[in-house]
Amino acid sequence: MTAPNVVTVRGVTKIYQQGEINVTALNDISLDIKAGEFLALMGPSGSGKSTLLHIIAGIDRPTSGQCLVQGVDVTQLNESELADWRNQNVGFVFQTFNLIPVLTASENVELPLLLTRLSGRERRKLVMTALELVGLADRARHLPKQLSGGQEQRAAIARALVTDPNLIVADEPTGNLDSQSAQDVMQILQSLSRSAGKTVIMVTHDPKAAAFGSRSVHLEKGELVNGDASPPRQHAGVAVTK
Amino acid sequence: MTTAGFIIRNALRNKRRAALTVLSVAISCGLLVTLLTLQRELTIPPESEAASLRVIVRNKVSLAQPLPAKQLAALDRIPGIVAVSPFSFFGGNFREETVTSFAQFAVDPARFAGLIVEGKIVDGSYENFINDRNSCLTGADTMKRYGLKVGDRMRFTGTFYPVDLDLKIAAVFEGTVDDRGVFFHHKLLDELLGDPGTVGTWYIRVASAEVANDVIARVNKAFENTAAEVRAETERAFQMSFISMLGNVKLLIGSISSVVVFTLLLVTVSTMSMAIRERFRELAILKSLGYRREELFSFILAESFGLATLGATVGIGAAWAFWTFTDLQQLTRGFLLYFEVTPRIVAAGAFVAVVLAIVAAVAPSIAVARMSVVQGLKTLD
Repeated sequence: MTAPNVVTVRGVTKIYQQGEINVTALNDISLDIKAGEFLALMGPSGSGKSTLLHIIAGIDRPTSGQCLVQGVDVTQLNESELADWRNQNVGFVFQTFNLIPVLTASENVELPLLLTRLSGRERRKLVMTALELVGLADRARHLPKQLSGGQEQRAAIARALVTDPNLIVADEPTGNLDSQSAQDVMQILQSLSRSAGKTVIMVTHDPKAAAFGSRSVHLEKGELVNGDASPPRQHAGVAVTK
Repeated sequence: MTTAGFIIRNALRNKRRAALTVLSVAISCGLLVTLLTLQRELTIPPESEAASLRVIVRNKVSLAQPLPAKQLAALDRIPGIVAVSPFSFFGGNFREETVTSFAQFAVDPARFAGLIVEGKIVDGSYENFINDRNSCLTGADTMKRYGLKVGDRMRFTGTFYPVDLDLKIAAVFEGTVDDRGVFFHHKLLDELLGDPGTVGTWYIRVASAEVANDVIARVNKAFENTAAEVRAETERAFQMSFISMLGNVKLLIGSISSVVVFTLLLVTVSTMSMAIRERFRELAILKSLGYRREELFSFILAESFGLATLGATVGIGAAWAFWTFTDLQQLTRGFLLYFEVTPRIVAAGAFVAVVLAIVAAVAPSIAVARMSVVQGLKTLD
């Protein structure tokens, strides 16, 4: 049986206005992403891959087109609805980790849960589960500056996971990591897709990182060049270089 | 972790800046409270019921010009006046002091008894004061301040008059709005000055508040077209005329207070804007995690409010403690008797701090609300 679509992008166009010049970042993009897929969005700088990721994750709006995520057209939600939707449905992993420097690893992971009605005890339990999942339970009380880059990114993944969203979006998650840490991070993302059934969408330049994905799509100048054509590749264990 | 804990950690992340912000708010609030108190003390002279019945008569030309002593007979005949006494400011320096730290007045003791009806003798005897031309009636505050007792001598070096005084304390009074003054026999002053036949002012008590204006009009009219025309006015109006000599104190202090508040506002807004600008990316992260604009606004407001409140508490508290526990007479050489930081003034200082916190939070909050997550993420990229 074919897995249902988690993300359905139809005719999405994004035009930025820079002074009097219109810059087309995305041009009539259509894309389907199925549940449990680990999709690598690839392309050169300025190809629109991050813009597409941002639109799917509900932190940017297209100029036109439709973006359905789990049946919800995120382009139609207002600011507050989008904020709630992101909290419940999307986990973010950024290239520069983006942990809050004054909070410990566990407190950073707890941040999205402060918006829920969970008790302190329930929150702490979920936080520890997420940290254990990424192998960082023993660093729970460390501040970001006391963690290595790989550990920071794992804490960021734990923060993305803690609300148990169906969709994880990662923007160049290995861009700031050494090869070993990058491989660790990619393995975690891969296992989230394979074992936990999460849909992972990752933007990357790196073909070796993309190889961890089940599918990759390429963008150039705001257009998909191979659409859904790339065959899934199982490539766990390949050394990923920065 | 709690939301409050998160806000506190954010507020204290740059400890030096937070401390300097709190300090600047504290100093400004302390200064504001001091200015408001000073304004109050200078523009609202102490009042009593008895004071509303008292009228002071001075030379129309200027307070510095004396009045003829022979005016007394005419004043005694004016209906509505129940007591009248010469009242001449001596302005001497006590002991070795180089400034006049409390007032001394030459009065007619027998007549003066009918003027300070709200005061009571707490030590010694008023009779002794009347009977001994070299004695004085001294306020309880001055007795306490200098550790004096009845029978001690008070020596004054004249500054207005070229004579000195050596007085024996006959009685001590308290219960008036200013229990610092010293009163002595006008006859002694006349004697020392070679009987010039003048007085500084006349001090009058009228029968009732209703007739005060009539009495003032009659007194002014009685000496019209004489060599020494007079200006009669209530004790409060007389005190206010002293204040007016200082210029428009209210406007001056009000202007300084406004500048203090405005500067405080600029400092706080600038600090908050800087603190938030540094965290644009983090706020964008919070937005991406699901925090709404209003939640981020409440974070910023709480942080701003916390810093302003802490600063205001320190500043207003320090000002209150300082002005409450400082010997103000000593500090101001007797210029100020009271310097009460009233609850109303504390509330005004706190109100300014609260408004400040809100205003300081608005500008960065608007910037954060307008910022998209993508823009925020690009801030440091």
